[in-house]
Amino acid sequence: MKTQTHSIQVQNVKRSFKSVKKEEGWRGTIKLLTNPEYIVHEALKGVSFTIESGEFVGLIGANGAGKTTLLKILSGLIPPTSGEATVLGFTPFERKLAYRKQISLVMGQKAQLWWDLPALEAFDLLRALYQIPRDVYKQRVDELTELLDVTKLLNTQIRRLSLGERMKMEVIGAILHLPKVIFLDEPTIGLDVLAAQKLRGFLKTHNQKEGATIILTSHNMDDISELCKRILLIKEGELIYDGEAKKLGKHDECQMSVKLMSEVAISELAQVLAINESQIQKDEEDPTTYLFTISRPKLTEYFQILMQKYQVADIGIHEASLERIIQQIYQN
Amino acid sequence: MNSISNSWFFEWRLAAIKNGMKDALAYRWDFLIDFFGQAIVPVGIQLILWNSIFKQNGNATFGGMSHSDLLAYTWTSLLFSQIRGGNYDFSLIEMIRTGSLSQSLLRPVGPVEFVFWRGLGDKLFTATFCFLLGTIASFFAGHSIMNLIMAMMLAILGNIIHYLFGAALAAVAFYWENAFAILMVKNMVVSLLSGELIPLSVVPEKYSMIWQSTPFYLYVYGPTQVALGNWSHATWLHHMMIGFVWCFAFAVALKITWKISIHRYQGIGG
Repeated sequence: MKTQTHSIQVQNVKRSFKSVKKEEGWRGTIKLLTNPEYIVHEALKGVSFTIESGEFVGLIGANGAGKTTLLKILSGLIPPTSGEATVLGFTPFERKLAYRKQISLVMGQKAQLWWDLPALEAFDLLRALYQIPRDVYKQRVDELTELLDVTKLLNTQIRRLSLGERMKMEVIGAILHLPKVIFLDEPTIGLDVLAAQKLRGFLKTHNQKEGATIILTSHNMDDISELCKRILLIKEGELIYDGEAKKLGKHDECQMSVKLMSEVAISELAQVLAINESQIQKDEEDPTTYLFTISRPKLTEYFQILMQKYQVADIGIHEASLERIIQQIYQN
Repeated sequence: MNSISNSWFFEWRLAAIKNGMKDALAYRWDFLIDFFGQAIVPVGIQLILWNSIFKQNGNATFGGMSHSDLLAYTWTSLLFSQIRGGNYDFSLIEMIRTGSLSQSLLRPVGPVEFVFWRGLGDKLFTATFCFLLGTIASFFAGHSIMNLIMAMMLAILGNIIHYLFGAALAAVAFYWENAFAILMVKNMVVSLLSGELIPLSVVPEKYSMIWQSTPFYLYVYGPTQVALGNWSHATWLHHMMIGFVWCFAFAVALKITWKISIHRYQGIGG
């Protein structure tokens, strides 16, 4: 074990995967049997960063950007092809017992609890695996299930739970042993707004109360903006942004919502302001309210044009959403 | 600290057995049909086979065994054929293929051992049931209960050997992504060489080396011979020793294959 200065240290980590290339049709099938052709895909291309204890970090990027690969390396499931990663002073892939007892991985698309058994049975097995004293375990289960509002479901078979309820149980199972580092891979995937909100509140409280270091990957920007002060943005295996989420938002772009007295075609508004139609969105609930994503210095100019051309009932200025900013970074 | 470690050594294994047992019994009808169905089919085949052989040829013995010897073997082997094996090595290949091994790899206990103890829950339940059944049968047939206990011990040792062998083979899934076929072939070979389908003593002498050079006869044939009183205590001890040697060899093979192969794991589907 090395001297621990940071909770997580990643230095120039690269990871490539070799896979078989399958060509179309029968010829491809026969070739696959006789003379398979391999392709090498570089999932991570030299990523470096450090994370302090107790940080809640968002790891974001498009599908296939390398987020999950990074989580797999940090949790110890796969080794990096080159470079070095340490978590709590351990080399993750060595998977030492002391390391495994201090971490946890929740994958939104993979269940760790046993499908045919009630959650309580699974928790009891996890208690034995992680050597949690019975009284502490009992208290923790009561507390966590109450916080996530699933106490009544403890004796229900996992497979009979809804996706949201199952995910809550998965998270409880993952943090029963109070890990120092938690890796969350899309924990709110497929959850409804209320369930996702409840889970976010819970994770926030847990991070503050227990001081656990948490890395979260999610495509739901509400997760990131509500929970993570810092984000790591990955694009095609490279870390392209590492910093505060709010600084990423300090962009020359902002959003202006305008409520007009009558409905106007988006094409007409785009023509009047000389902007792209993609920069204008109509409010789904109110057809006379429009959301303009525009350059901040042009704000006054656009505002004046709209006032001259149309009858404006209300106007508001907002920071551009994190989702929009990330979308723009990716497009550029 | 030591007492905590010692209690943990037993506690998590007991918890895994308990958990596996509950899992196996989650669907009682499925469990019962699986349990009796898998036992009745091979027995049915053997009974038809022995009756046909003795009726058509009119012989007094077959492979040195009389009709009643064969019937006694068939019914007794039933007690042990359900203990051998189990399909929990198939669970391992499925975990490797689908990436669900990931969670097990990060727990404080090794995945291979964890799957074994969980799977053993089901088998211990079966063994207890078979033991009770065997005790009742022994009472009426005049066989020794001590022999039955010794036979059960050999059958459980066989179960451990079978799992270690299957788990070592399952490491192939790290390379081929799926190793279902290899485990299926293994199970077919085991069915034949374990004495589950025919008593191995009917195999001609010149071919007997085939089954004697594998540990599979310790799964069903060996325990059946012990239960029927055909093996002495000394022979039982001798075969138990052979079993332990196989256990050790497969445990080493398992350790090596997984240590090398785990580097190939990609944890796909995340």
